[in-house]
Amino acid sequence: MDDIKRKYVIPGDVITTGPYRAEDNVHLFGDKIIATTVGISEIYDSGVRVIPLTGVYVPRIDDFIIGMVKSHTSLSWELDINACYPGILPAQDVFGRDFNPKVDELTSRLKTGDLIAARVANSDRSRDPLITIADRDLGKIDDGELIKISPTKVPRLIGKRGSMIQTIENATKAQITIGQNGYVVVSCEEAEGLLKALDAIKIVEEQAHVPNLTERIQEMLGSSSE
Amino acid sequence: MNVTIIDQLKKKKILSLLNDGQRVDGRALDEARSLVIDTGVIPKAEGSARVRLGDTEVVTGVKIQPDKPFPDLGDRGIFICTAEILPLADPNVEPGPPNEDVIELARVVDRGIRESSMIDLTKLVLQKDKSVIGLFVDNSVTDYDGNLFDACSYASVASLLTCKVPKWELKNDVPTLVEGEFSEPPITTIPVSVTMGKIGDQIIVDPNADEWGCMDARMTITTNSDGNICAIQKGGHDGFTVEQLIKCSQISISTAAKIREILKQAGGR
Amino acid sequence: MGVRKSDIVLLDDKGIRCDGRSIEEPRRIMIKAGVLKNANGSAYIEFGENKILAGVFGPRDVHPKHLANTDRGILRCRYHMQPFSVGERKNPAPSRREIEISKVIKEALEPAVMLENFPRTVVDVFIEILQADGGSRCAALDAAAVALADAGIPMRDMVSACAAGKVADTIVLDINNEEDQEGQADMPVAYMPNLGKVTLVQLDGVLTPQEYEKCVNTAINGCKLVYEFQKKALREKFFGDSSQ
Repeated sequence: MDDIKRKYVIPGDVITTGPYRAEDNVHLFGDKIIATTVGISEIYDSGVRVIPLTGVYVPRIDDFIIGMVKSHTSLSWELDINACYPGILPAQDVFGRDFNPKVDELTSRLKTGDLIAARVANSDRSRDPLITIADRDLGKIDDGELIKISPTKVPRLIGKRGSMIQTIENATKAQITIGQNGYVVVSCEEAEGLLKALDAIKIVEEQAHVPNLTERIQEMLGSSSE
Repeated sequence: MNVTIIDQLKKKKILSLLNDGQRVDGRALDEARSLVIDTGVIPKAEGSARVRLGDTEVVTGVKIQPDKPFPDLGDRGIFICTAEILPLADPNVEPGPPNEDVIELARVVDRGIRESSMIDLTKLVLQKDKSVIGLFVDNSVTDYDGNLFDACSYASVASLLTCKVPKWELKNDVPTLVEGEFSEPPITTIPVSVTMGKIGDQIIVDPNADEWGCMDARMTITTNSDGNICAIQKGGHDGFTVEQLIKCSQISISTAAKIREILKQAGGR
Repeated sequence: MGVRKSDIVLLDDKGIRCDGRSIEEPRRIMIKAGVLKNANGSAYIEFGENKILAGVFGPRDVHPKHLANTDRGILRCRYHMQPFSVGERKNPAPSRREIEISKVIKEALEPAVMLENFPRTVVDVFIEILQADGGSRCAALDAAAVALADAGIPMRDMVSACAAGKVADTIVLDINNEEDQEGQADMPVAYMPNLGKVTLVQLDGVLTPQEYEKCVNTAINGCKLVYEFQKKALREKFFGDSSQ
């Protein structure tokens, strides 16, 4: 793991040449491995990839996401999930298998603008991703504030084994729910804690590429952290 | 332009803060956002300005050219104001001919400036009934965060305050440009537009995009340097009480006075 | 509008052009990435007196749906000039010239953009000319490519564009407005610098086969120079500085 060579790259940059496996966000041109997005390239023993620093969210099965209801038909809700496709939440997922479109009004459960904690149930590119909230920890979000960050920064906001998110939560007493799609909900009983948490999240997004960010955030939030 | 859907949590917060007379970004109810004006940003145009009202950004240019006067207005020059919301300003803007929102925006900005008589059009005549000077003010919105009415109006006014009118001589009745000679535009007053939104019973000045999405109705009032009202436009799907109408006029006069100082400074006056 | 007599010297005997540049010298270039709040990606360029803003949205849902391609994402491009961007005020409605340039720019970007993984979506590129000054389509492309990278649209390579031309019987790099109007040929070129492919080339004017080859190579050198500014713009925004 320590043998990973890292470099800042932009599209078209030649990362290396040679018999490596081309992985995420690179392409092969002759024997050159070329970056396809702005990000940090990594060469490890057998493969080359780029960790992107910008770009839309690409839905993956089982991803925890936060979605916003945009509209609905008589059979499903259409969600904004910050991806290149809208998410589809079928009515049956919420009403159960006895769902009857003639009787059950979708807006009685979820209406336009509502936020939900959800999971990606199915994602193949031939149709819009299917979303589910049929789990105990999922469903409509009733309070907090929505903040949007680039989905590429989500791993940084979570941190190694959750270190970054825990640092912020402990220091501000806020609860932070992070969707893989870059939608984040922050709630806090104290207005000041809420503001500090929101500021910290914005800084992590802006400085995701800076080393030792967790320590700097800890300093910024003051010695009130444990 | 279709308004972006506001998430319900934010809408709840906006409404509950308003009940206490507060706004999400900490502004007072009658406080406009920060206003930054840069003039002369398009040197090739005869006048130009870039305005940032909060995160709303507009780039405006003034083109001044000889033209034929309108049929029954041969003793005055031409003033035309347009507006376009560029598709890069917001994901919901569709490129194409202006829709009714954009047309209303352009006409309200135009009316506010025209009715104030900011430009003395009688001073822009080359040959009565035959040849006059035309002032074309074109507003291009480059980033949307609510309240395009005021942003475009300020950009138009700042461009006009700092424009330079070229000189034309008539040779055989044809206007011919005299290179290198310019004059100051004939300015009589500085109109300032103030847009207020109504959310529930609260009136707020300069709504940002989130507040714009929660508004029931809006009012744009333009006042001139004498503190007189020269243009009004009510919009939105709800109504105002008479008390609210009076209150709006009072708010607009006092807010406009503050903004007029910023415009004066940008205009070098 | 007055008519100016053409009394400018396009190339003097010391090899200096009408704006003081030498034959292989491009105009002043400045590019900034990420200048708009709402667009997914954006860039602003000043290239000579050209001032151009580019914004990108996508990949996103296509409306109307019948335009969607079930196998891959599509690219849409709009090159549009503000009424105040040119000497004589331009009507806001799209002209035939703008429509053609929109198409040509789209086809210059398509070889670089990788949309196979985004079926049924569209990437919208909006280019707004705030001030025009000769070579605007190349400058527009340079900004558009940076905006696409800023938005995280996967690309095989950057696309860098620059024009070369013939002025006073000499092949010169990056012709300005006067050289465009009074010169003998104008050749805008777009180039993918790492893959070595030309994705846009047009010609206005007459060139001998030898002049054509020299012109292409001169333009490509210009593209490589512009590429450095595009790299700088992205590095400054994402990596905090322009050095590695």
